[in-house]
Amino acid sequence: MRTSLRTRVRSLLLIAGATVVVASTTACGGEAALPTPGSNNASSGADSIEKILAETPIAGSLPAGSTMAKIKESGKLRVGGTETAALFSLRDPITGKLSGFDATLSQMLAKYIVGEPKTELVQVTSQTRELLLQNGTVDAVFATYTITPARAEKISFAGPYYMSGISIMVKKTDSSIKSMADLAGKTVATQSNSTAATTLTKTIPTATPLLLATNDECLQAVRQGRAQAYIIDQAILIGNAVRNNDVKVVGAPFTQEPYGVGLPPGNAEYKQFVNGWLKKVMDSGLWARLWKLTVGTAVESDPPATPAIGSVAGS
Amino acid sequence: MNDMLGHLDRLWDGLLVTMQLTVLSFAGGLVLGTVLAVMRIVPILPLRIAATAYVECVRNIPLLVMLVLFVFGLPEIGILYSLFWTVVTAMSLYAGAYIADIVRSGIMTVPAGEGQAARALGLTTGQMLRFVILPQAFRTMVQPMTNLLIAVALNSSLAAAVGVIELTGEVDLINLEYADAGLTFILATACYLSLTLTIGLLSGRLERRLAIRR
Repeated sequence: MRTSLRTRVRSLLLIAGATVVVASTTACGGEAALPTPGSNNASSGADSIEKILAETPIAGSLPAGSTMAKIKESGKLRVGGTETAALFSLRDPITGKLSGFDATLSQMLAKYIVGEPKTELVQVTSQTRELLLQNGTVDAVFATYTITPARAEKISFAGPYYMSGISIMVKKTDSSIKSMADLAGKTVATQSNSTAATTLTKTIPTATPLLLATNDECLQAVRQGRAQAYIIDQAILIGNAVRNNDVKVVGAPFTQEPYGVGLPPGNAEYKQFVNGWLKKVMDSGLWARLWKLTVGTAVESDPPATPAIGSVAGS
Repeated sequence: MNDMLGHLDRLWDGLLVTMQLTVLSFAGGLVLGTVLAVMRIVPILPLRIAATAYVECVRNIPLLVMLVLFVFGLPEIGILYSLFWTVVTAMSLYAGAYIADIVRSGIMTVPAGEGQAARALGLTTGQMLRFVILPQAFRTMVQPMTNLLIAVALNSSLAAAVGVIELTGEVDLINLEYADAGLTFILATACYLSLTLTIGLLSGRLERRLAIRR
């Protein structure tokens, strides 16, 4: 009795094992047969992130003992970033790849230093960005990181590499909010890791901020009526309005938010090196092409002029 | 840094909201938990099943998931009220599940003979619970209740994730302005610590006062 039970169990296991093998081989076959969107783009001649990365220059000789040489030695760039910023750095749940303006720029810097676009993402939030740079956990932060003098006291900024502005998103049916002044007394949602919250409390102190972690939560808060408005980077809001026809973006951007690359403090050589890379990327037109493929997919206009490096306080 | 210390009043505002969240959620949980505990010991099977099912379900859901469900889920079915009270509701329902178990174990510490004696004296189930069982049971619950109250106070920091500007939320806001996460979070830690130490101190006194001298 006992032996027959054992053989039965063994044969069951064999069947199960065989099924797994068959299933995995079919899965592999299926994957191989499907062309990836990126390769498709490349073959049809359209511009793609892959092309931009392929054309990214590689730095010449790196001074021995410098931060850059150490990064090259380690074989990858440790980047502080996020996975939830649409158009800037968003992780695709299917491919597992990061896409967006910030994400690609960080890969371009990695290629410039290491020779290939190899990055290691360390998730950062507004609470941890400065600390992770100060204690050397990350080599650079690409996280829609607005350059401010207060932050520049703690760390260094390369750039600015992008000029953004805060705008307002409301429900399509709302006609009472047209400018920043109309937000007085209203509940206003914004992302907890953005400078928009500070802008709001400073300019319209009577507004109640509703700080939520992600763009989707803020969008949902406005659609559900928990907040009357949502303020953040205009490009992100336009992206929301394109995907959801029950919201709209009102008013022109009312601030200038210069985004910079966060770098460890007190390392002038490294900062100069990254600024040099930024200048190359901007002058060669790669910057504008990248903008078209990322932020430009949500905004109907030509790429903006590149900001002058070192042009804002704190950079 | 000096600029930032000028914002201590904002930390105080945040601490006030944290205390309100803690007290209201705990009070709500106490009412719900006592009802649930009584449901679990009365000799009516459907009530026992319902209360057990509630405790087992809610206790096994992370609080953050509950908060997100209440804050973003309820409006989807047309229930929208103030964010603060939505969070208090979710936290009360959550604390209730834990308090139910504390109350039940407290009741278990009262010897069965006490209940039988109450019956023999002709007390109804309600009278027996009110005058004989619960007053004795509550004494043994002071320490576990204190633990839970501290847990509720610390868990209330999760409310910041759904947009309530309590202590953690206020610290986030200040940090956005002054980019000094180290100092702001040390201050927040000090605030939380003083809150929980106060709770511990008060509960120690309460326990000594309630103790029966034999």
